[in-house]
Amino acid sequence: MSYRLGIDIGGTFTDATLMDERTGETRIAKVSSTPHDPSIAFLRVTERILREANVAPQDVRYVVHGTTVATNAIIEGKIARTGFITTEGFRDMLEIARQIRPSLYDLQFEKPKPLVPRNLAFGVPERMDAQGNVLTPLDYDAMRHVAETLRDEKVEAVAVCFLHAYLNPLHEKLAGEILTEIFPEAVVSLSSKVAPEIREYTRASTTIINVSLRPLVGRYLQNIQTRLRDAGLNAELLVMQSSGGVFTFAAASEKPVFIVESGPAAGVIAAAHLGTALAQKNILSFDMGGTTAKAGMVQDGSPRITKDYEVGGTARAGYGSARGSGYPIRTPVIDLVEIGAGGGSIAWVDSGGALRVGPQSAGADPGPACYAKGGTEPTITDANLVLGRINPKFFLGGEIELDVERARAAIQKHCADKLGMDVVSAAHGIIEIANAAMVNALRLVSVQRGYDPREFVLIAFGGAGPLHANRLAAEMEIPTTLIPMSPGIFSARGLLVTDLKHDYATTMIERVDALDTRAVQDAFEKMERAGHNVLAREGMADTEIQFTRQVEMRYVGQSYELALALPNHELEANDISLLLEQFHRAHERAYGFSAPHEPTEFVNVRLTAWGKIAKPQLQEIGKTEKQAIKESRAIYFAERGGFVECPIYDRYKLGAGARVSGPAIVEEFDSTTLIHPEYDARVDRYGNLWIEQAPE
Amino acid sequence: MNPILFQVLASALVEATEEMALALKRSAYSTNIKTRNDFSCAFFDSQMRTIAQASGQPVHLGSLAKFVPNVIRTYGAENLRAGDGILANDPYLGGVHLNDITLISPVYASDVLIGYVANLAHHVDVGGGAPGSIGAFREVFQEGIIIPGVKLVAQGKIDDDIFRLVLAQIRSKRETAGDFRAQIAANITGTKRIAALAERYGIETLNAYMDELLAYTERRARNDLEKLPRGIFSATGVVDTDGYTDEPVHLAATITIDDDGVLFDLTGSDEQRRAPVNSTYAQTFAACAYVLKCLIDSDIPVNAGFYALVKMIAPEGTVTNCTMPAPVVGGWETQHRLTDILFQALAQAIPERVPAGTKAMMAQIAFGGIDPRDGDLYAYYEAIAGGYGGRETKDGADAVQTHGQNTENAPVEETERNYPIRLARYELVNDSGGAGKFRGGLGLRRDYQFIDHDASCSLLSDRDRWGPHGLFGGREGKIAQYFLLRGGEEIPLASKTTIQIQANDIISFRTCGGGGYGEPHERDAQRVLRDVRQEKVSVERAREEYGVVIDIEKWIVDEHATRTLRAKK
Repeated sequence: MSYRLGIDIGGTFTDATLMDERTGETRIAKVSSTPHDPSIAFLRVTERILREANVAPQDVRYVVHGTTVATNAIIEGKIARTGFITTEGFRDMLEIARQIRPSLYDLQFEKPKPLVPRNLAFGVPERMDAQGNVLTPLDYDAMRHVAETLRDEKVEAVAVCFLHAYLNPLHEKLAGEILTEIFPEAVVSLSSKVAPEIREYTRASTTIINVSLRPLVGRYLQNIQTRLRDAGLNAELLVMQSSGGVFTFAAASEKPVFIVESGPAAGVIAAAHLGTALAQKNILSFDMGGTTAKAGMVQDGSPRITKDYEVGGTARAGYGSARGSGYPIRTPVIDLVEIGAGGGSIAWVDSGGALRVGPQSAGADPGPACYAKGGTEPTITDANLVLGRINPKFFLGGEIELDVERARAAIQKHCADKLGMDVVSAAHGIIEIANAAMVNALRLVSVQRGYDPREFVLIAFGGAGPLHANRLAAEMEIPTTLIPMSPGIFSARGLLVTDLKHDYATTMIERVDALDTRAVQDAFEKMERAGHNVLAREGMADTEIQFTRQVEMRYVGQSYELALALPNHELEANDISLLLEQFHRAHERAYGFSAPHEPTEFVNVRLTAWGKIAKPQLQEIGKTEKQAIKESRAIYFAERGGFVECPIYDRYKLGAGARVSGPAIVEEFDSTTLIHPEYDARVDRYGNLWIEQAPE
Repeated sequence: MNPILFQVLASALVEATEEMALALKRSAYSTNIKTRNDFSCAFFDSQMRTIAQASGQPVHLGSLAKFVPNVIRTYGAENLRAGDGILANDPYLGGVHLNDITLISPVYASDVLIGYVANLAHHVDVGGGAPGSIGAFREVFQEGIIIPGVKLVAQGKIDDDIFRLVLAQIRSKRETAGDFRAQIAANITGTKRIAALAERYGIETLNAYMDELLAYTERRARNDLEKLPRGIFSATGVVDTDGYTDEPVHLAATITIDDDGVLFDLTGSDEQRRAPVNSTYAQTFAACAYVLKCLIDSDIPVNAGFYALVKMIAPEGTVTNCTMPAPVVGGWETQHRLTDILFQALAQAIPERVPAGTKAMMAQIAFGGIDPRDGDLYAYYEAIAGGYGGRETKDGADAVQTHGQNTENAPVEETERNYPIRLARYELVNDSGGAGKFRGGLGLRRDYQFIDHDASCSLLSDRDRWGPHGLFGGREGKIAQYFLLRGGEEIPLASKTTIQIQANDIISFRTCGGGGYGEPHERDAQRVLRDVRQEKVSVERAREEYGVVIDIEKWIVDEHATRTLRAKK
């Protein structure tokens, strides 16, 4: 008997997902979060789920934690008091940031407050040139003096980021030694260790975020560990990283900057895993919950990663306008486009008479008007209810009874009356506008990156995702939409189906036509040794350890790189010509042109060290029960010009091979799937719904 | 009109221009475009009305609204085919300065003209009298290559003759060639996306909704403008020097707000100079458009529906609407300064909404020479941030771009890697923010060291004589300063100059701080303490200007001494 336990702590609830490693069978439990000490809810939900499942604590092999503790600490300013040391003349790097305003026409804009106040930022005499040669040796006395000052200032953490340290870490190492000697209590991060990549401000920001989170995240994870050990769990304790993949509590305490987007990553990982199990390697993932919708992309079984990310920035689908509103990090983050369109997003009419949806959200409290908990403004959920798409008596399995009249009244007053429309048309309008925003988000992660959505499968989940997915796929001509079982808790499965992962990067700006392949190989081998050591410490056997290599390349003179896979051996001439071909093609795909005669260069080489954890099999379901249709209901479809009486299916009674013809609804506890006219859904042997256009 | 389809199309059109911006940024070569975002993208309908814009540089966007129709009319819309790209930068066709080169491509769906996509990018060098093509020139012809609107791309193929002819004028050939390809990529992206929309929804439908988008925008913008207090508000100011003489350039603005909206009248501004401070009509229009946009809900889109409300009188032959052959490269200084003067006038009408004086100059530096690493010519350009003005309830931000300009800085490491220079210093200028209840933001110092070669370096900047204005008792921000550091000496430089650099010289560029807002003596003493602690304000200035006495042993406000001192004033 062995189990895997996933714990996701959100603002309102702490969710647990327990999976039987042998059968893949999953169950869930939920308790209220305990923000003053999240480890209490962590333990509470753990004990509850083990009791309900009748599982002994020692039978849990892995606990995987998805957490927003790091992000929240930054947004709420609860990070450690941190000092910053850099090259003399550059201590204002954080104050200056990118020198831009985060919004163009707002005269009352604010620039994000530096994470280190200016009086704790110091320049020390030392200098490297752009090739990493020492121009000015580190001034030991000055460095000692700064260390003493920071000690007297009682900082908890210190970040060191010298110019060009990504090429030559010598001075940072020396500075680290001096800090340890003079101020041993301080937690220290060096930029050359955390994010050894060119561009000082983003590297410094990454280093500061890392070190300023270390005390807090360390205590937080230690606290959880103690409680779990006391409760008899001796499982391996792991944390989800922003890039997918997990690492140990110890590693997370050392490099917390890798977990800033730990929560949202899980959904994309779950989609990637399901897709791989179903032999679908190219996936658009669509996760719609109460406040936002998130679009992600999986290519060849791996989620797309970005390194251009700002923590605490204003969420916005698109380029530009919110840039500079947060704190940049250069560690890999799963590339998600998040928009303010969830079930609770509020619909309104602007001063020009246009119907708008979001970004304001009614949240869970007071919630949509139909919750009858005091909310009076219409939301996406209200609109779905008025259109008959949600069952008022079976929302969250009947946990909340929805009030259709309140939903109608809210839409009437705030939208329909102002637009001179009837309430149903207004409700339909709200859905269509929300859908359009979601289509834009899906386009940004696919078309904008040079991929044709028609070559992808849409996997939709989150409580509200399956209500909208069919329409989105139709709009984008995505041929297949897949709705997994229990969409509302699907993303939590991502915690349980991932591998141990450690990412490394080395900057090597080298022209490809003069590439020192031996040096590249040396760099990879060095990173492989580091990865191997960490994974071995985490209990991985040699046979479970794998490496993947990547290079980030560009035309000489460009600043944005494209990532390409490399083989796991020293590059030979034919590898390089193949790589160049791939690069020109990737450039053509991304930007519409390539320049095959232009010189190219390596920028960074990246290594991912994987510790493979066995994946549970998908669980098969039984045959269809006779009465899978539980009732019928009138549902609005614009393409049919009004309400159509539709069968309502009980998802739990739909067995392998069952077929459902649209228009129809499939209901389950945590979600509702809408199948439009002219579409069919079939159920595979694992219970997934495959929605495709009906044959003519 | 279906309000749902309306919203769908309105956002899809903007997203199309945003996609253009991403394609341009990611594939460009020069630091100025790829890192500093000195470019803008827009879509125009078949009547050449601005329909949608990506968030870019406001001054580019405003001028494109005038420039694109002029270029198309001059070239002849009938001479355009699918896949074409018209290249243009002529200031006297409605352009701005020569560095800003625009590429315009028609969009067709089923052989019907839908409109035009255009992108403007600031090229690091366009030839002319100095590297980076900025300097104190006396005629536009000295400023670089003038492109009147020529077909660089014909049905998808670059015209090699034109390409070579253009590149032959330019110092940084390889970089600029890459940037032109990126501009082409952006238009390919935009053309595809808009054509797909037309095909998906039908051309007539798309046209009808574009009309409605403009009407909607105008409706909302009018609605907001109606809420402004009525009246006539004026202000004057100067550009400190014209670059050729020390004679200040006087600018005058009168804003009339009445039932017809807002009228910007620049009558009274100086006649144009034979010096680089002349702003073209399009450039001045962009300044007024920016100011007007700040007065309405930031959620209202920017398109021809909005531009229709920008009413401006800029007499021909003045520095606000210059005529051929006046040089224009420094027109940005005039334009930028004018923006600040317009806000100064508006401070009488809406004191709670406008900031005190800001950096309000472009603060440009350019240099070039022969790169000793490879023997090739190089050129570098950037524009530096400064202080923002204090506001009714908050300080001005330190070190930001102001008003129509929002270009990023170039990372030190990237700059040192790509160009044969070193940055010796990059830091805030202490004590540069104008004192006030809410103080002005701090200016910025950036020192460029030329290591191992001789170069030519140009400054095109301003505000070394008069600092940004304070409001309601707030003090002026500290002036900008420019120095050549040579052999241990600090030699002052003019704000607009071109000099020959020797190896090991340092150019020290120090921008001005923002103006303060409200009486300095009303500033919360704890805020003064924080500023002193952070060395943004010195102990002496805290005492003299703010009347706050700080005990620097304990880092506390000496309450008693402060009360006494403040009571005296």
